[in-house]
Amino acid sequence: MRFLLRRFGFYLTAAWASVTLAFVIPRLMPGDPATAMFARFRGRLKPQALDSLRAALGFTHAPVWKQYFQYLSHALRGDLGVSIGYYPATVGSVIAQALVWTLFLTGLAVVFSFVLGTLLGLASAWKRGGWLDGVAPPLLTLLGAFPYFWLAMAVLFLFGFQLGWFPLRHAYDDQLTPGLNLPFLISVSQHVVLPALTVVVVTVGGWMLSMRSTVINVMAEDYVLFAHAKGLPEMRIVFHYVARNALLPNLAGFGMALGFVLSGSLLTEIIFSYPGQGYLLIRAVKSLDYPLIQGLFLTTTFSVLGANLLVDAAHVWLDPRTRG
Amino acid sequence: MVLLLAFAVSAVACGGGHTQGEPGVIEIGEANQTSAFTRNFNPLLEVGDVRWPSRGAMYETLLIFNPLSGDFVPWLAESYRFSDDYMRLEFKVRHGVTWSDGQPFTARDVVFTFELLKKNAALDLRGFGQYLNKVRLVGDDVVAFDFARPFVPGLEDISIQPIVPEHIWKDVADPVSFANENPVGTGPFMEVTSFRPQAYRIERNLRYWKGPPAVKALHFRAYPANDQTILAIINDDLDWAGDFIPAVERIFVGSDPAHHRYWFPAIDATVMLFANTTVPPFGDVRVRKALSMAIDRKRVVMVAMHNYTHPADATALSDAHDRFRDPAAVAAGQSWMQYDPERAGQLLDEAGVTRGKDGWRRAPDGTPLRPALLVAVGYSDWIVATQVIVRGLRKVGIDASISTIDMNAWTEKMEKGEFVLSMGGTVASYSPYGFYKGLMSTTTVKPVGEDVPDNFHRFGLAAADPIFAKLESTADPQRQMELFHALEAMFAEHAPAIPLFPGPLWGSFTDKRFTGFPDAQNPYASLSPNIFPQTLLVLTRLVPR
Repeated sequence: MRFLLRRFGFYLTAAWASVTLAFVIPRLMPGDPATAMFARFRGRLKPQALDSLRAALGFTHAPVWKQYFQYLSHALRGDLGVSIGYYPATVGSVIAQALVWTLFLTGLAVVFSFVLGTLLGLASAWKRGGWLDGVAPPLLTLLGAFPYFWLAMAVLFLFGFQLGWFPLRHAYDDQLTPGLNLPFLISVSQHVVLPALTVVVVTVGGWMLSMRSTVINVMAEDYVLFAHAKGLPEMRIVFHYVARNALLPNLAGFGMALGFVLSGSLLTEIIFSYPGQGYLLIRAVKSLDYPLIQGLFLTTTFSVLGANLLVDAAHVWLDPRTRG
Repeated sequence: MVLLLAFAVSAVACGGGHTQGEPGVIEIGEANQTSAFTRNFNPLLEVGDVRWPSRGAMYETLLIFNPLSGDFVPWLAESYRFSDDYMRLEFKVRHGVTWSDGQPFTARDVVFTFELLKKNAALDLRGFGQYLNKVRLVGDDVVAFDFARPFVPGLEDISIQPIVPEHIWKDVADPVSFANENPVGTGPFMEVTSFRPQAYRIERNLRYWKGPPAVKALHFRAYPANDQTILAIINDDLDWAGDFIPAVERIFVGSDPAHHRYWFPAIDATVMLFANTTVPPFGDVRVRKALSMAIDRKRVVMVAMHNYTHPADATALSDAHDRFRDPAAVAAGQSWMQYDPERAGQLLDEAGVTRGKDGWRRAPDGTPLRPALLVAVGYSDWIVATQVIVRGLRKVGIDASISTIDMNAWTEKMEKGEFVLSMGGTVASYSPYGFYKGLMSTTTVKPVGEDVPDNFHRFGLAAADPIFAKLESTADPQRQMELFHALEAMFAEHAPAIPLFPGPLWGSFTDKRFTGFPDAQNPYASLSPNIFPQTLLVLTRLVPR
């Protein structure tokens, strides 16, 4: 319990730090949102519009510390303000729209990659020196070493454009109405294949290698030898004795990966025009959309912190040594 | 770029991805690149994330300006006139116009709209507050605008203000953040029949005062990036678009010569090389003229702009202002607008900017002269232009270099005047008044460090100020022409900034499904779908095949 409380204090400090950083970093960027908006119109706006713009965007020349405390109190109430690029939509509503797609795409990819990588690692370690152990690790390491954007563009060009097997952009067909109906669900799954596939291809190797090495360690343990000696069926030893114990370190990594789901999807979403958080972030940075940048930073950091808290809790439960 | 071309060419080869739309429904390209549309049809909030039809098809204005002819087309107003002292502007409002909910449109709606702007400074994007005293009803159908001082240029701003219905907007709590999801307007396309994050559709208004439009509905799709838009234009997924297309003859026209058309008239704002006149020796007119002579504009236009435009002249006016151009001013400035590196060198010598031992020129006080020429990352056309310019400057002994910086940082440096040389745009105004004002009126000059959105180079000419004042108090075309000519002569003499080329206004269409688009033979409007409210002129003329 004391362990958890201590961790909780740490998370509180980290949360405050990230909220503060989210405030500071956008303000270190050059320019201000009104000028950025003015510039986007390249001569279409009258010079007089600049002042109106500042008024409309609620942009003040108040001292920075005042803005900071105002921002803190609003953030505590969950009010992230109004987006500048999507004015007058609120940051909350803009993020909510994108969050679903990012969670879906990257969440799916990360879970799939974790499960697949872990199983492959287990299989290749169990039959060490077998054909799977000879082919999979070098091949997956090679694929994982490709620059992601290059791989993604090549995949999009080949399967999306040349062969036309998969759609080129978006999360579902323009003509469909989102909802729980079959055509929509089919369209969503068609659209998710390519982006998810590219993420799986580059990440699965890592899971496999780490699982493989822990499995090899665990296999040398006495209790595994004992299980063999008892004459237990092979499948029972693999899943109940080896896999369960070997999974511990990988699980911690999985927690981290889940936390990074929200931030890790930047390139994927841009290349596949997937309407998620990554695409939002790029647009927000371009238009100096402070409130939206802050909101995106916050959702990302809080998801990392939240996932870590869960992993910590899981550790307490799984590993008696941490309970001390 | 190469990848894009590869995409484009193979797209044409296999014709892949093309979805044939419903007959009579036109696909228009929204200038706003996005991955998901937000439902906002607030016509008063032009700078927000507001959908195209708000100002393009739903809400109308008193007059519509045709940038090619320079004429005002009567629209919600049948006619307008100034009082003799130019202190009052009156519009006679059209009869028989109804809002899309069946209520009659009246002069009261016009008065209400301007009162709304007065109460909400955030919506007053054209600065009405600076000269408008009162807007009032005269009789039943005349609206009078009382000015605080004579202000003729106010006509262009007042006439293009979208008018909203009083019976709806009087109950809107905050018109700035009002999303107006189910709009009621006077325009030709009103009802939002479907709205999804990636596409939406607007049906024609059967009550429209000019009669129901021939086009059945407008349809828009979200395109998140430029290359996706260009692909859609080539594939006929877009009937009408306003995007830059590289090598347009080959890529676009070549893919379907019978139907693909483009029209890129050089009527957008003139692109300039700005020299900061507060930084010596650029305050010296001879130095600015010498810089100008060192630039091979023909090459700039060819390499950077695909020959879509042509070199500017010494009046700096874009082709939209052709009718105001004074041949005498053009001739007077001919010498410094011509590529002549030798003469440029002589002029720099005269100004005391002489070559040092290393061959590079120094400022008259002997300090080394190494100006950085600023340009924003991502403006690829301008970056190419700076390369040609810098090569020219180095040829005449100025050790210039290119400095490519983030767009926001660039904008900030320009507005604060913290640069030496920079590429830059100007204001696209209806008449040369607004254009020249930002280039040489002392009223637009602010000290370095303070924001100015137009007079980046900090140049003010006291002799020009009375001319601007006179232009504000005369609507007599003859008199206006004389005054514009006087401004042109001043620009040609003082070279406040160095004109490069008038910007082209992008517009392309395919006439496979619709006819009646404007073009050089029939310039009833420009072909750009991004200039409001002249899109109304186009939408009410298009006919499905």
